[in-house]
Amino acid sequence: MLQFLLPGLGVTVSVTLIALCLGGCIGALMAVFRVYGNPVIKGLAASYSVVVRAVPVVVIIFILFFVISAFIDLSPFMSGAIALGFASGAYQTEIFRGAILSIPRGQMTAARGIGMSRAKAIRCIILPQAFRVAIPSLINEVTLVLKDSSLVFVIGVPELMRRAQYASASTMEPLLAFGTAACFYIVLTLTLSKALEAVEKRFAIQF
Amino acid sequence: MKDETMTRPVLRIENLCKSFGTTPVVTDVSFDVHPSEVIVIIGSSGTGKSTLLQCLNLLHLPTSGKIFLEDQEITAPGVNQDRVRRQMGMVFQEFNLFNHLTVLGNVTVGMTRVLGMPVKDAEKKAMNELERVGMADHRHKYPAQLSGGQKQRVGIARALGMSPKVMLFDEPTSALDPELTGEVLAVMQKLAAEGMTMIIVSHEMGFAREAADRVIFMENGRIEEQGPPDRMFTRPESERTRKFLSIITTGKAEPPSGSLGQDTL
Ligand SMILES: Nc1ncnc2c1ncn2[C@@H]1O[C@H](COP(=O)(O)OP(=O)(O)O)[C@@H](O)[C@H]1O
Ligand SMILES: [Mg+2]
Repeated sequence: MLQFLLPGLGVTVSVTLIALCLGGCIGALMAVFRVYGNPVIKGLAASYSVVVRAVPVVVIIFILFFVISAFIDLSPFMSGAIALGFASGAYQTEIFRGAILSIPRGQMTAARGIGMSRAKAIRCIILPQAFRVAIPSLINEVTLVLKDSSLVFVIGVPELMRRAQYASASTMEPLLAFGTAACFYIVLTLTLSKALEAVEKRFAIQF
Repeated sequence: MKDETMTRPVLRIENLCKSFGTTPVVTDVSFDVHPSEVIVIIGSSGTGKSTLLQCLNLLHLPTSGKIFLEDQEITAPGVNQDRVRRQMGMVFQEFNLFNHLTVLGNVTVGMTRVLGMPVKDAEKKAMNELERVGMADHRHKYPAQLSGGQKQRVGIARALGMSPKVMLFDEPTSALDPELTGEVLAVMQKLAAEGMTMIIVSHEMGFAREAADRVIFMENGRIEEQGPPDRMFTRPESERTRKFLSIITTGKAEPPSGSLGQDTL
């Protein structure tokens, strides 16, 4: 059983990590746009987050795989990871936006007061604090993306779920196959959450 | 009292006005600030003192009027406002220390990220400034681990680190418990004695008497009266000044707006 599933583990982990990083970059950027942008940029960023959150992740995966990959050469693995990242970015936009808004106004005023530009103040003062505030919600997002990563099996990426299906078919033991997969997801979720909790502890600031 | 006629002003404010929307908050304010001069601005809450101070370092852009920093008109179009702000230190009522940085980090971040100083040099200068305010021993602490008075002294060190030409203080002791105001006022007094040019919004009358060269009384966004502290406090010319001072000296740190019969809410 393990020889069927283990190779899928790496794929699941990499899809998840790529999606989370991409989603984090998109989310942080869109959140900054939504809080500090001019009305046009604010509107665009808000529409992204509303639209993407309204569309099922599977639909986004299919769109990216069938539509986009007709124009640019994308492996199923990359299409899947990018689609998940794009979806996660919308949720992370909301997480980072809330975190940025929770930072007291005086932090920006003080940063400008020592001569920082707005962009530099956002980068050096606001975002580092917002990131710390966001970590508990990000831990939650990690577990959601990890579970959503099973959806990329629909475009044939050989991740954990796809492997479990193989295993179930060839060994005729679906309970064992999917049960093992479930255990893997549990262990992965706990590991990733613990890792982020360690980051949270490391950077904790008291207010 | 310093000789004001000989020197070129560090800061010259000409007919400064600031409105938020259609509400005028600062109206036609003009004054010069000379090198090493200490100016204390008093006036009831909501009268535009903070707004005036934040106009001086362009945190608010004036609606009209001119401000000169030494010879440069900083309100002229095309002036790099970030560059102007670097040259003026600002100290806030709520301290506004950067919560994610240590005491040392709070003082160095401007030097490294804004002035581009190497970290080693910045830390050396930061330690000097922290010595000046008596906070060097606390350099590894985070703001949350400090008392209000200690936070404010770090706030002062952070501003000093940028080697400012003028220091602006907005009610630096108003958020402090009474027993903690002394340590902050002592630092400010020391800076004044060292020749720092300072504009201070404060209702600490004892401090104003000792350290100020000039006291400006503001009312409804205008300068109602100004003069040396001994005259302002003993023989004010304006009835409003007299009224305000009598309220202030009977105990309250800052009278509620409207206490002068003029509701500015
Ligand atoms: N950003 C702003 N937008 C609109 N109104 C403001 C703003 N900042 C201050 N005000 C108003 O300007 C007036 C003067 O405020 P302020 O300068 O803080 O007075 P003070 O410092 O003397 O108490 C107040 O009525 C306040 O409500
Ligand atoms: Mg004020």
